[in-house]
Amino acid sequence: MTSQPLRDAVPAPSPRAPRRSWRSPGRILMGLFVALACFLSVVPFYLMFVWATLPSDQIFAVPPHLWFGSAIAENFGKMMDATDGFALRQFWNSLYIALLATATTLFFCSLAGFAFAMYDFRGKRAMFTFILLTMLIPPLVMDIPSFLVMNNVLQWIGTPRTLWVPGMANAFGIFLMRQYIVSALPRTLIEAARLDGATEFGIFTRVVLPLIRPILATLGVVTFVGSWNNFKGALIMKLSEDPTMTLPLSLRRITGGATNVNADWGATLMMVVLTVIPLLVIFLFASRQVISGLTSGAVKD
Amino acid sequence: MSDRFSPPRPARSRWTYARAQQRLAPYVFTSPFFILFLVFSLFPLGFSLFLAFHLWNPLDGLGNWRFVGWENFALALGARDQFWTALKNTVWIGLLSGVPQHLVALPLAFVIHQFLRRWQTGVSTVLFLPYITNAVAITIVFGMLYSENLGLLNYLLAQLGLGPVRWLAVPELVPYSVGAVVFWRYVGWNVILYLSGLQAISEDVYEAATVDGASAWQKFWFITLPLLRPMMFYAFTLTIVGNMQLFEEPFIMLGQGGGSGGAGLTSAMHIFNTAFRDLDMGYASAMSWLLFLAIFALSMVNNYLFSRDGGREP
Amino acid sequence: MNRTALTIAAALLLGSAQAQDKVTLTVAAFPSLDSAIKAIIPAWNKLHPNVTIKLQAQEYADHHNAMTTALATGQGLPDVMAIEIGYVSKFAEGQGLDDLNKAPYNATPYKKLFTPFTIGQATSADKRFIAMPTDIGPGTFFYRKDVLDKAGVNPASMTGSWEGFIAAGKTIKAKTGAYLINTAASVNNVIIRTNLKKGEGIYFDDKNALLVGPDNARFVRAFTLSKQVRDAGLDAKIGEWSNEWYDAFKKGTVATQFSGAWLQGALQNWMAPDTKGLWRVQNLPEKGFASWGGSFYAVPSKANNKQWAWEFIKFMTLNQTSQITAFKDNGAFPALLTAQKDKAFSEAVPFLGGQKARILWRDAAAKTQPIDVNKYDSVAEQIVQTELTNVLEQGKDVKQALTDARAQILRRAR
Repeated sequence: MTSQPLRDAVPAPSPRAPRRSWRSPGRILMGLFVALACFLSVVPFYLMFVWATLPSDQIFAVPPHLWFGSAIAENFGKMMDATDGFALRQFWNSLYIALLATATTLFFCSLAGFAFAMYDFRGKRAMFTFILLTMLIPPLVMDIPSFLVMNNVLQWIGTPRTLWVPGMANAFGIFLMRQYIVSALPRTLIEAARLDGATEFGIFTRVVLPLIRPILATLGVVTFVGSWNNFKGALIMKLSEDPTMTLPLSLRRITGGATNVNADWGATLMMVVLTVIPLLVIFLFASRQVISGLTSGAVKD
Repeated sequence: MSDRFSPPRPARSRWTYARAQQRLAPYVFTSPFFILFLVFSLFPLGFSLFLAFHLWNPLDGLGNWRFVGWENFALALGARDQFWTALKNTVWIGLLSGVPQHLVALPLAFVIHQFLRRWQTGVSTVLFLPYITNAVAITIVFGMLYSENLGLLNYLLAQLGLGPVRWLAVPELVPYSVGAVVFWRYVGWNVILYLSGLQAISEDVYEAATVDGASAWQKFWFITLPLLRPMMFYAFTLTIVGNMQLFEEPFIMLGQGGGSGGAGLTSAMHIFNTAFRDLDMGYASAMSWLLFLAIFALSMVNNYLFSRDGGREP
Repeated sequence: MNRTALTIAAALLLGSAQAQDKVTLTVAAFPSLDSAIKAIIPAWNKLHPNVTIKLQAQEYADHHNAMTTALATGQGLPDVMAIEIGYVSKFAEGQGLDDLNKAPYNATPYKKLFTPFTIGQATSADKRFIAMPTDIGPGTFFYRKDVLDKAGVNPASMTGSWEGFIAAGKTIKAKTGAYLINTAASVNNVIIRTNLKKGEGIYFDDKNALLVGPDNARFVRAFTLSKQVRDAGLDAKIGEWSNEWYDAFKKGTVATQFSGAWLQGALQNWMAPDTKGLWRVQNLPEKGFASWGGSFYAVPSKANNKQWAWEFIKFMTLNQTSQITAFKDNGAFPALLTAQKDKAFSEAVPFLGGQKARILWRDAAAKTQPIDVNKYDSVAEQIVQTELTNVLEQGKDVKQALTDARAQILRRAR
């Protein structure tokens, strides 16, 4: 990355993006547009990280501090104190649930999306419409009956699977997969694999999955983020003791709400950063996957 | 049955097996959704429909409800009910955040895809950052940005000799302030969706257009937009559904009541408050079904717009 | 005194005489009560080594939502449920909590041991007593002595009448530039909650008749005085729990704050520790007494270990040492009257410039009346607050706003 500017100056032989006009006003304007968007996206994160390194009494100083402080260790210690030492355990709880949710969602949603995109079958339209309809239902008043199902029928209350099993195959993911596969995969590819004697499931695993990596990465990130930030589910399903608690519940508990007289902003900000770091790591990893889709030339053949 | 007299049978049988597999596969592949739906969603949905016709304080426990017919619906639909105010707020905030989201995300994705290929990973990662924040982070960060006397926004305005603006205190401004956060949080998400869609468009099309001397604008208008239709339909649908169910951002930034004058009280917040603060589950359930109908109607409009003028069915 | 001590001793003895089987007792709570429970657990474990306390603590609103779900389904309930004062009357009207008047609890003799209004607050309309009080938040009037001194305002002149309060505010603003109060709405919030007539709740009377309206003097006055404060530019237009709020505390840009006694702990611990010695407290204007926060313990009817739940609750609420431990842990003001007579309460409070504030709070708590509740209170509150904003922000006519509020509340109160 350090040599990037130099390499940019050298006209690279690129078949699709001719270099001739990269200094044109239009290009510069577009560059500014993208740069501004990036800047606005980053600023709040920058501030969050800055605050997490400041001593508690300076986090809300006026005018706000815009550069890092030296209270990282102190704030980390306070965070561990505020959670009775369970912060990292809770971090793992959230990670465990999010990873399982992501793996299962990717599998089941792409499988169903593939079916809706590449097969003609009786009832297809009705089934797909039905799936879309379920997405429109506001989930707000279903906490109580959902709790009943988990508790009385399945007796899963208090276990992590209450959080990742119900969403394994969800409307949002199926819809996304179907839309992508429709435009990215030609049916001839499937026919060809079929003529080669592949089973239907074999076509999915060997032909389809490798070709939809960019969208798998997208759905994976979205699922991971959704699961990671979900506090309501964990609350209703009673993952509510220190050792089983998820990170967002714990974070909400230590913030200065209306009844918490011991709130500490240093601890809170440190935990906010703790909740953001794995998401950053996962996404950095996943965006490489998004890009890798570009180089897999098989898509268009 | 004896197959003694049919030598071609083995071949035909293999063919039938493949056919059968091919016929059954889509049903098997889509079945997980329906199984999970049966187990986890059917009862909750039925229950909330049942409650929509009853008066029930959840603290009284199961069974202690009273049938009231259509009363809950009539209450919500009556003139001047808060249901309408909340729906109006929801639609307004939804428009303020949703329209600019796509107006910015589409060209942004196009520019990144066409001209910044080398930095695509980095740029898209950065743009996606806002999406991964959690509720508490948003409260803290935007609380700081919107602060009247201490916030960065008013600090910057003051440098220009303007302000201070009471971002979250003036009822008329609240929808803009909330809309801006929603916009900030989901632009990157839409960029990623559109980038995924763009990557699925064949390079040959662009190359051919370049050879023909098409400008960037022409490529965007005549190639990108039409070929992105399936993804645009998906992204629009998600924005409509998401914005109509908007809950988290206003709830945590403005508090349960929707902030100054209740100007940020969305339908979802109103339903939540009715259910868990006012303990009126029946009215809340009725409103959530009415909200479902509203979302359904809007999605139908979206569907109609996308399937109207040619192109493949979305 | 002696009889009380005996009762408690007997209760504790009874507890330790029970079966020695291993028991796990689940206790659901919210901050900062959870921190008090953790501080008291060691003492409990010494007394009852066979009973392990499993604490489920959630953020305040999360906790009450989870408890609502649990009560609605009658399942997944803890053995001991902590309830905040804002929810206790609502929970009392529901059917999911045991009546502590009855066997095996027989809590009636204990009631007189607590600050009186708490008992009324935890009693339902049909006289079921559903929760034992553990801590209270006596409503009080915080002011910055340095700011008032600079303006030459005598703090006593601010408590005689609301008109005097506003007049003093004008002097403060003129002489020091400091605002009188964070938001004009808090004037409304104190007025509508204090000096209620017999048989009146805040929004409804005890016969469920709606009080809000253009003909109710209390609401007209609350709205009108709030508007006066706003029109005179005396409020900083700052919401509570916002960054501006903390900043105002640090800088003294707002001279007074109505709140619960617990605010002192929050100011001292994290909001504005550097303002030590600058604050004082006095009673609310016009001899108004109100409560700001407070916690209770209840036993769900479907709890598994009711016997031990009750022992635990008694240990938390009737044991003076526990109450003092909680007080020392996070400033939770004891609901137990004997604990309020502990010598810690007559000590000077350094943060308040050596004022013996706790005696003032204790007396204020004794004079606080339980407020009649109605199941549509939260609906009424939201609508009244919205109309008040219309008056303050958009200059809507007071009578018109109250007429509209009345019409809207009547629609929902069915």
